[in-house]
Amino acid sequence: MLDRNAVTFVAMVLALGATMSSAWMAKAWAWDDALYPDLKGQWRVVGGPMRFDSSKPWGPGQEAPLTADYQAIFEKNLKAQAAGGQGTTPTYTCLSPGMPRVTNGYGQIEFVVTPGTTHILVQHIHDNRRIFTDGRDWSVTMEPSFLGYSIGKWLDTDGDGRYDTLEVETRNFKGPRAFDSSGIPLHADNQTIVKERIYLDRDDRDVLRNEVTVIDNALTRPWTVLKRYRREPDRQPFWREVNCAENNNHVEIGKENYMLSADGLLMPTRKDQPPPDLRYFAQSKP
Amino acid sequence: MRGSIAVVTMTATLLMSIGVAAAFDDSKYPNLKGQWIRERAPAGVTGQGPFDPTKSWGRAQSAPLTPEYQAKFEESLADQATGGPGFWPGARCLPPGMPAMMTNFRPMEIIVKPETTWILIDHIHETHRRIYTDGRSWPEWVEPTFDGYSIGRWIDTDGDGRFDTLEVETRHFKGPRTFEPSGMPLHDDNQTVIKERIYLDKADPNLLHDELTVIDNSLTRPWTVDKKFRRVKEERPNWPEDICAEGQAMIHVGKETYWISGDGHLMPVKKGQAPPDLRHFKQPSK
Repeated sequence: MLDRNAVTFVAMVLALGATMSSAWMAKAWAWDDALYPDLKGQWRVVGGPMRFDSSKPWGPGQEAPLTADYQAIFEKNLKAQAAGGQGTTPTYTCLSPGMPRVTNGYGQIEFVVTPGTTHILVQHIHDNRRIFTDGRDWSVTMEPSFLGYSIGKWLDTDGDGRYDTLEVETRNFKGPRAFDSSGIPLHADNQTIVKERIYLDRDDRDVLRNEVTVIDNALTRPWTVLKRYRREPDRQPFWREVNCAENNNHVEIGKENYMLSADGLLMPTRKDQPPPDLRYFAQSKP
Repeated sequence: MRGSIAVVTMTATLLMSIGVAAAFDDSKYPNLKGQWIRERAPAGVTGQGPFDPTKSWGRAQSAPLTPEYQAKFEESLADQATGGPGFWPGARCLPPGMPAMMTNFRPMEIIVKPETTWILIDHIHETHRRIYTDGRSWPEWVEPTFDGYSIGRWIDTDGDGRFDTLEVETRHFKGPRTFEPSGMPLHDDNQTVIKERIYLDKADPNLLHDELTVIDNSLTRPWTVDKKFRRVKEERPNWPEDICAEGQAMIHVGKETYWISGDGHLMPVKKGQAPPDLRHFKQPSK
């Protein structure tokens, strides 16, 4: 049997608790980041960003399940790259890599989780993503973009009361886009759908996994790869500022790609490349 | 009595566990959610993104420039008058950096967490400015950047138990940077120090102030302006993808700027401008 003082004390504590918990719960609904996995810090891709499937060699070694048409485009691109050109990889002019290529993990990566949006910030060309997790659907009309429009849902897959997996679907693209620097192309119709499952490794909380599946008309079947990112140990990491246009020596004039030499002059990127047409300049008299 | 102690202990444990769940109490911070755009300029104010939003751009800013930097500014204006880009780095797809980026040429998002406040502006360069509010001091070495390195502190100025003002100091810059697109330059030594006070308007919670003071060796005194941002009404606003390189018609070869015509040919931006030197191309045989 409880004595009177204890009863009074318990009542006071419970009353205080009720007040606190209602306030906390209201707050918890607004922003309880303990419900989400700890993704703080700086992440770098494991295995390098040059290949879409980091478990396989670059280029033809990726064994991308391309249709015959797009395999032919890919082969032509490889020949153009071998001759000094850029092929079908558009990023040399500082266009965004777009999706799914940004999942290759160029540069330093930060995940900022808020209840309505998960931001993926990447120090690269133009790779920042917003993944909307506020329950919206696809009824929105949005301008197509290289990074697409991403809607996500946090899942508690093991039923422990905390979210552990972010499921994402991304649509609404424009192009040109390639899977990686070898120029494996996505379809020109830009009807790509990318699905992702992003979660911390159960055995190593400093490894983040991203299962990326690409559905695209350039492919004969959905192509799924596993990306892994490792968290840097420094909790106050150094963040580089990357500006593609700074010191970019590629110059595109019409459909031709040229380089700027060290002395600031135009130069060819391949053997016997013709110079740009100067018809709009006042011609010097002979 | 033993029973009562047990109950009290259980109750206290419950309360503690609730407290732990609420890791981040966002009600302590001002509500900065949503999309922010530059407040409409007062009637009569002209020009693209003036630094002082109450005055037209260019000379009308009455910038307190030293004679040396006033002369540089005139040089930029003269170049722009003849068709050139002047000193505005955005013409080369370089980021505006601080303080010009806070003119908010594109929509801004602010994310507040205890350790960091992020300012995201997708303009030219995908700016993700990090303002560290984790109590750190200035690092011994920081790689200079266009956006600089920002340390902030949340302040409760009215003593109501909630933070209302973010005080920020930003240092460690690189250049070239200008105050605004007219090309009004900051000093080449990049020793700029920028102090800001960011807070919601007391009478209008959808109006955000950024009292911004620039201390720079191009100036005869610190220059303070009040940047204002308006929160858009849409709960789910459109976030446009802004990629400077896309459709960019202006190209730079050495110190010269040229234009790409609609038919993909190089053309001059100034009357009588010489074409680029093509000495690195194979010359046609005579």
